[in-house]
Amino acid sequence: MNKKSLLWSMISLFVLASIVLAACGTPAATEEAPAATEEAPAATEEAPAATEEAPAATEEAMPEVSFDYPPGGALEAAIKGEYTGTTVTVDGAFEGNDPDGVKFAESMKAFEEATGITVNYIGNKEFEGSIAIRVDAGDAPDIVDFPQPGLFASFVRSGDIVPVDFISDEWLSQQYNPGWREFNTVDGVEAGVMHRYSGKSLVWYPKKAWDAAGYQVPETWDDLVALTQQIADDGDTAWCIGIESGAATGWVATDWTEDMMLRTTSLENYDAWVAGDLAFDSPEVRKAIETWSSVWFNDAFVNGGRSSIVSTFFGDAPGGMFNDPPNCWLHRQANFITSFFPEGTVYGEDYGFFYLPPVDPAYGKPFLVAGDLVAMFNDRPEVRALMEYFTTPQSASGWLEGGGAISAHQTATQDMYGSDLDYGVSQLVAGATSFRFDGSDLMPGEVGAGTFWSEISSYVAGSKDLDAALQAIDASWPR
Amino acid sequence: MKSGKRQKKLGLLLVNATLLLLVLLWTIPTLGIFVSSFRNREKIANTGWWRVFPYRDWQMVREIDIQNSGLDPDGVMEIEGATGTFEEFRAGVETPDGKRITWIGNKRLGRVEVQEQVWTIDWDFTLDNYKQVLGGQDFEFKKPDGTVQIVPGDNMSSAFMNSLAVAIPSTAIPILIAAFAAYAFAWMKFPGRRWMFILIVALLVVPLQIALVPILRDYKALNLNGTFLAIWLAHTGFGLALATYLLYNYISGLPRDILESAFIDGASHFTVFTRLVLPLSVPALASFAIFQFLWVWNDYLVALIFLGGNPEFELVTQRMAAIVGSRGSEWHLLTAGAFVSMALPLLVFFSMQRFFVRGLLAGSVKG
Repeated sequence: MNKKSLLWSMISLFVLASIVLAACGTPAATEEAPAATEEAPAATEEAPAATEEAPAATEEAMPEVSFDYPPGGALEAAIKGEYTGTTVTVDGAFEGNDPDGVKFAESMKAFEEATGITVNYIGNKEFEGSIAIRVDAGDAPDIVDFPQPGLFASFVRSGDIVPVDFISDEWLSQQYNPGWREFNTVDGVEAGVMHRYSGKSLVWYPKKAWDAAGYQVPETWDDLVALTQQIADDGDTAWCIGIESGAATGWVATDWTEDMMLRTTSLENYDAWVAGDLAFDSPEVRKAIETWSSVWFNDAFVNGGRSSIVSTFFGDAPGGMFNDPPNCWLHRQANFITSFFPEGTVYGEDYGFFYLPPVDPAYGKPFLVAGDLVAMFNDRPEVRALMEYFTTPQSASGWLEGGGAISAHQTATQDMYGSDLDYGVSQLVAGATSFRFDGSDLMPGEVGAGTFWSEISSYVAGSKDLDAALQAIDASWPR
Repeated sequence: MKSGKRQKKLGLLLVNATLLLLVLLWTIPTLGIFVSSFRNREKIANTGWWRVFPYRDWQMVREIDIQNSGLDPDGVMEIEGATGTFEEFRAGVETPDGKRITWIGNKRLGRVEVQEQVWTIDWDFTLDNYKQVLGGQDFEFKKPDGTVQIVPGDNMSSAFMNSLAVAIPSTAIPILIAAFAAYAFAWMKFPGRRWMFILIVALLVVPLQIALVPILRDYKALNLNGTFLAIWLAHTGFGLALATYLLYNYISGLPRDILESAFIDGASHFTVFTRLVLPLSVPALASFAIFQFLWVWNDYLVALIFLGGNPEFELVTQRMAAIVGSRGSEWHLLTAGAFVSMALPLLVFFSMQRFFVRGLLAGSVKG
């Protein structure tokens, strides 16, 4: 009896242990599960404490603030102190404590000091899954920072997002280039405001070695291919390319495809392609993909050869540029990639960038961008005030001063930027003849974050030919 | 007799050797992570952690000037007795005397090194990873007026406190309830006992993920979302079925004689439970406590949902997820992070581990 019970408890312990171990062994699965919510802190409870800290609003003169605001709006009332002590909850796809979270908090300081409104950021990395659960459960945050317009658009269509028609058209057109306002307009309704972005049509190079070797920044795609050949003739591989990114492997290749679509066909075709009206298996898309494949699939042009592209982590790929001597000389990536560069490397000394040159002069100098827009789910005056603040470049000041993203507001001036790099990118974008949002972010999730990534990876790896890959993507498009 | 003894010894040796091998195999990855946590980012990305052991590496002895040597990099070259093309020299061509000639850089600007193989060891360790994990990263903001403001990152202490505040009650509450329940199922007679027990065992197979959304809605109605109470209750609920089942197995196996003699002496169920069953069940309670504590400590999903991503209530697991940065550029910090988050569970495990082996029941009943 005694022994038997001990035996049983040991067995159950082992079972328990294996269950626990099994549960510990699959963190990826747990992380992917839809995640949700937390409390919207009871604003009323915090009110008394916050009131004491709030600046005493004077009746006559408006207090001095460090940012412009639209006249007569909720933000003006907030600066007068009318909503002091209230709280606005903001959700988003970055963690509150990671670099983006710190930059966000820094950006909100001016608003909080001027209005006495508390901005409570609650975002996390499982945002895409959690936001849908929260909205369904009737627990929507006040404002959401969307990294993808596609997700934003679905909430606009479902009627969960409150349009920004309370901000005057005059003010918006003063703050934004008309092109930017198209990104947050869904079915003719302007439902959010663009906040910040990163430029994608950039090619990075190791400046010191580059200058020593006497290479020239190319002005056209043909120049770039000639440069690639020149570097190959010198005995080096020109390009650092890596598309591995865990479950998102392949997104780098989709970016290249989008950049080439903009450069080899018209904007109308690009828009039709993104909307699903132009098939992947069409001459236009084929041409775009074949344009970059001609470089990628030449083992003499790519560090490690074609076969290493799929297995190289996108963040590790540019590392080859910083070896002495460089293993590769060119790397096309958005400006966030600098956070992956080795510590201590300096823009202008160790590395530089240039605009990915146009292929066909007929299509001008297009620029591919991706960025965040903010939209409002709950209509309260203090939420409106924060939305109005988001239309000012100061609302992105954390990123401008700390680096990593570019203000989407055309009123941002050079002195607001902490780094020449970000300002340089913003100037390149300002000089572009057209710009378009990252297409895979706009496509339905099944394609833009699914088959487009996976099929293009198979194509790069050589396990599928272009026909099969493109047909598979077309077949997966939800109709 | 003697040969039997020898055979026994041999068998023991075999078992021990096999165990040692398995233990080594299991610990090698952990050792690798541990060593990596003391290496800097470039080293982690470029070379293996096993370079802490002596290895043979090619090192430059001298450089050959090739700019004026008249070599034609496009053809077959002969350098110091080694012949090969440019590509071959890039990879390194060995000479008969054991040296290696390697071309570094491109054809126009490169240089040629004569290298020798030497034993070397890479013991260049740094505490930076731990510093960044424990102390947080600093962020620089260059203000429009030219000043640079440094905002220090969060340190781990608040995350540790939050994790403890979640893990300790989430371990104690289910154990208490489950011990009561297990005693009742084992030693009290009441109608439906069997069916209720089967129901609890059946609950073991229900994955907790399917309960997340319904519970979230209930919490929303009760205004519990984002409170510690919410996550205590959630972990209690998710852990209770297993705890009851496990403790039932143990408590029902306690010797009938002890309990019966207590009942004959007039003890109530409560007295028997607190005076006899609880002290006798310490090994089972402790082992379940360890598992529940480890599970709660390592939990990410349940905490994310019921406690939310609010930085105020950030747990160690969430801190670890945040530490790699929005795009994963700081992944090298995960090595140090893993050991920091492991420290407390290890402490718990080792301090309670003796309960696994101690046989409390031995000799408690004298016939």
